[in-house]
Amino acid sequence: MSLIVSFDGFVAQLRAFMTRTQEQTVPEAELDAEFNRLAAALFALQRDAVPIYGEFCAKRKVPSVADWREIPALPAAEFKEYEVTSLPPAERTHVFHSSGTTQLRPSRHFHNAQSLALYEESLLPWFRRHFLPGWAAIGGGGDRTDRSDRTDRSDRMICNPQSAIRNPQLVILTPSPAEAPHSSLAHMFGTVRAEFGGAIFTGRVNGEGAWALDLEQTLAALRAAQSAGQPAALLGTASSFVSLLDHCQAARTAFRLAAGSRALETGGYKGRGRAMPKRELRQMMTRWLGIPESHILAEYGMSELSSQAYDRVIAEAGGGFRFPPWARARIISPETGREAEDGETGLVRVVDLANVRSALAVQTEDLAVRRGEGFELTGRAAGAAARGCSLMLEEL
Amino acid sequence: MIDKSLTLPGYFLADLPAGAELTPGLITEACQTLKRNRARFLEGRTTESLIQRLDGIGRDWLEADYPFRRHVLEAGPAATGFSAAVLAAGLDSFFRQLTAENLEGLLRQELGHAHRLDDFHPGEHEPGSTRVALARGPELLAHIAPGNIPNAVMLNLVLGLLARSAQFVKCASGQAFLPRLFAHSLYEADAKLGACIEVAEWPGGTASLEAALFAQADCVAATGSDETLASIRKALPGHARLAGYGTRVSFGFVAKEALDGRHPESIAARAALDVAAWNQLGCLSPHVIYVEEGGRIGAEGFAGLLAEQLEALEKTHPRGGLAAREAAGIASRRSFYEVRAAHSPETKMWASPESTAWTVVWDMDARFQVSCLNRFVYVKAVHGVDEALQGAEVVRDKTSTVGLAGSGARAAELARQFARWGARRICPLGEMQRPPLGWRHDGRPALGDLLTWSEWEK
Repeated sequence: MSLIVSFDGFVAQLRAFMTRTQEQTVPEAELDAEFNRLAAALFALQRDAVPIYGEFCAKRKVPSVADWREIPALPAAEFKEYEVTSLPPAERTHVFHSSGTTQLRPSRHFHNAQSLALYEESLLPWFRRHFLPGWAAIGGGGDRTDRSDRTDRSDRMICNPQSAIRNPQLVILTPSPAEAPHSSLAHMFGTVRAEFGGAIFTGRVNGEGAWALDLEQTLAALRAAQSAGQPAALLGTASSFVSLLDHCQAARTAFRLAAGSRALETGGYKGRGRAMPKRELRQMMTRWLGIPESHILAEYGMSELSSQAYDRVIAEAGGGFRFPPWARARIISPETGREAEDGETGLVRVVDLANVRSALAVQTEDLAVRRGEGFELTGRAAGAAARGCSLMLEEL
Repeated sequence: MIDKSLTLPGYFLADLPAGAELTPGLITEACQTLKRNRARFLEGRTTESLIQRLDGIGRDWLEADYPFRRHVLEAGPAATGFSAAVLAAGLDSFFRQLTAENLEGLLRQELGHAHRLDDFHPGEHEPGSTRVALARGPELLAHIAPGNIPNAVMLNLVLGLLARSAQFVKCASGQAFLPRLFAHSLYEADAKLGACIEVAEWPGGTASLEAALFAQADCVAATGSDETLASIRKALPGHARLAGYGTRVSFGFVAKEALDGRHPESIAARAALDVAAWNQLGCLSPHVIYVEEGGRIGAEGFAGLLAEQLEALEKTHPRGGLAAREAAGIASRRSFYEVRAAHSPETKMWASPESTAWTVVWDMDARFQVSCLNRFVYVKAVHGVDEALQGAEVVRDKTSTVGLAGSGARAAELARQFARWGARRICPLGEMQRPPLGWRHDGRPALGDLLTWSEWEK
C-alpha cells in the first residue's frame, strides 16, 4: 500500500477498499487493519486541511492517531456554526443543508465533483444490498456525470427472474433533487433513480421551503402499480409517510400492493406534521399499503455524513442499524465519554471514510443502544442542539 | 412511629399499587369526598390552629430522625434522581420558612390582617374602620404540579390549607414522591387536615381524568410550560379560575465592586449554591451569571472560581445520576463549546472530569442562553447592567429572579433597574432557590390570588 499524501490519493485507495469489500468477504482482521490505516490517513489530511477541525484537534492535543477510535469526533452541530470543509470556496460545486424549517441556520456540507461522486458510490451499493437486493440497475447511470473513474458495475446487471418480468415502481415521497438541490436525501434518491430507473418523485417544496406530499400523484402511482400487479417501492421521510397514511386512513383507502412491494422510511419528523411512534407507523404501512413488516426498512443518515445505515435487509429479520464496511458507528456513554457497555444507552458517533472533504468523525445527538453488530436508535439528546447564534424561544 | 422502612398507609390515589387504573368516576368521587371532609373538618378551623399545626410540621421536617425526612433522604435519590444532600438542602430551605411567624406575616401581607379568613376585620392599618372584610378560599383547589422540583407544590398546599380549601394535587407520572410524602406527613400530624387532601398522578394531558377534576374544582393552580397552561386554560369550564405559573427563567448579576473584595471566591461559592440547589431545575435557578467587567477579577476569572466551587459542591452535594437523554444533552453542548473554545479566545469551558456533574461556559457574548440545566451554567461578561439587560431582552417577559451580588447604594440602584426592566424578584446571589414563604410568586400575590372577598360596610 502506498503512502497517502493527498485527498486524491486517499480517494483512489478508498475506492479500491469499497470495491473489495463488496466483491469478496474480507477477513475481519484485514478489514480492521485497512479501515484503521485509511482512517488514520484521512484524519491526518483533514487535520491539516479543515481549519476548524485542525483547531479542535490541536486543542485536544491529538496530532496523530494509531487507532480510528482515537479520532476526535466533531459535533454534527458544528456544521451549522463553521464551514467544515477542506474545499476552498471556488471548488465547492455542491452543498447539502440539514433539513427542518425551524432552524435558524442549517448545517452545510460542501462537496466538489469528486466528493459528490464518492457520496453516490458510497450510498448505492449499501442501498441496493438492503432495499433492492437482486434487482437490476436499469438506468445505467444515464443522467449522471463523472463516472469515468468508477469501478465496473457489471456485476449489478444480473437480473433476478422476477425483476426481469416486473420492474419495480419506485415512488419517492420527497421532492426531486432539481426541486430540493440542497437536500442530501433528495440527492440520494436522485442517484437511486438514475441507477434503477422508473422512479417518480411525489414530494413538493412549498412556499415556505417546507416539504409537502402531492397526494393525488402518490395515490395515482400506487393505484397504477396495484392494478398492473407491479410491486411498488416507496421511499420517503417518516413525515411524508404519515401524510400519506393519514390520508389513507381518513379516506378508508387501503392498497393491496403486489408481493415484493416495500418501503424505506428515513429521517425523523423534523418538527413537521403529526408525530407518530415508529411502531405505529409500520403497522399503518402494513394496514393501508399492504406492505408486510419484513419489507419495511429504516434508513439512518444525515447531511453531515456520506454513508447511511439500514436496519434490515429486505425480507430478512430486522437487526440493528448497520453502516457499510467503510463507515463505523460507536455508541458513546454521554456521562463518561467512553464506549457504552452493551445494552447501555449512548450517543452515536460515526467514522465515515466517505466524508473525505469534511470531517470523517462526526458526533451526533442521536441516542442508541448497541445490538450485536448494529445499533438501535432510542431518541435524541435532551435540549437538542446547542445553538451558537441565538436563543430558540421554542426551547423555553 | 414508623420505622426506617416506612410503609405508607393507603390514604391517597397516589398510594394505589402501580398499574391501578384511575377513572374519571374515581376522580369525581374523590373530589366529592374531599368537599364533604372540608365542610366537616376544615371550613370551621381557625387560622391560629392551622398556623400552629403547620409550624409544628415545619419543625418536624427539620428533625434528623423525623421518619418522613429520613424516608425522603433514603428513598428519594432513587425516586427523584436528586442526591440525598441536595434533597436535604431543599427540605431545609423550604421547612425553615414554614414558621408561625412567617405564616402570620404572609397573611398580613396579603390580607391586611392575619384573621380575615376567620371573620370580618378592618385592615390592621385602619383599626377603627367601619368597613370590614372577610376572605374565602375556593371550595376545591386543584393543583397541577410541575415535574421538576417539589417545593412549589408544597408551598401551594400550605396556601390552600390557610384558605380552607379541599385540595387535589395532580402530579405528573412518577413525580409524586415528595408531594405525596408531604401530604402523608400532614395526615399523620392531623388526620382531619389530611382528609381534605388528595394526591394522584397521571400523565399530563390525560383529558378524561382532567375533565373530571376540572369539573369539580373552582380554582386550578397550575405550574408548567406555557403550552401546558394554554391547554389547561382551554380545558377549564367557565366557573373555574386559573392561577397559572408558566415558564420562567432566572439569572445572576455580579457587580464589579463585588469582586473587588478580598474574597471573590465567596461570591462564586454563592453562585455555585444557586446552580446546585435542586440541580438547577427550578424556575428560580440561574441559567446565566452576568459578570460586570472592571473589578479585580473579570468574568473569565469568576468562571474559573465558579468551576472550583461547583467541583467542591459535587463532593458535598453530588448532583446524582441522570437519564441518558439528559446526560447526552450536556455531553452534546459540551462538545459544541469545546470546538468553539478551540476556535475563539472569547469562549472557555470548565467541566467535571469523567462525568457530566457540572459545566461552566464563559462567553464574551452577552446574549442570554437557555441552559440544559443539571448544573450547566453560562458566565457572560458585560460592561454594565445595560448590556446584561439587552442580552436578556429575549427573556424579559419570562424572567423570574435576578440573583444579585453587589452592595450599598449601587445594589439599590441595580435592583431598581432590574425591577423596572421586569424582573419579578431580586435577591442576594446564593438565595435564588430559597424564596421567602411570603414571596409573590411570578409577581402575583400567591395566596391573595386564590381568595374571594366579602365586604361589610357597617
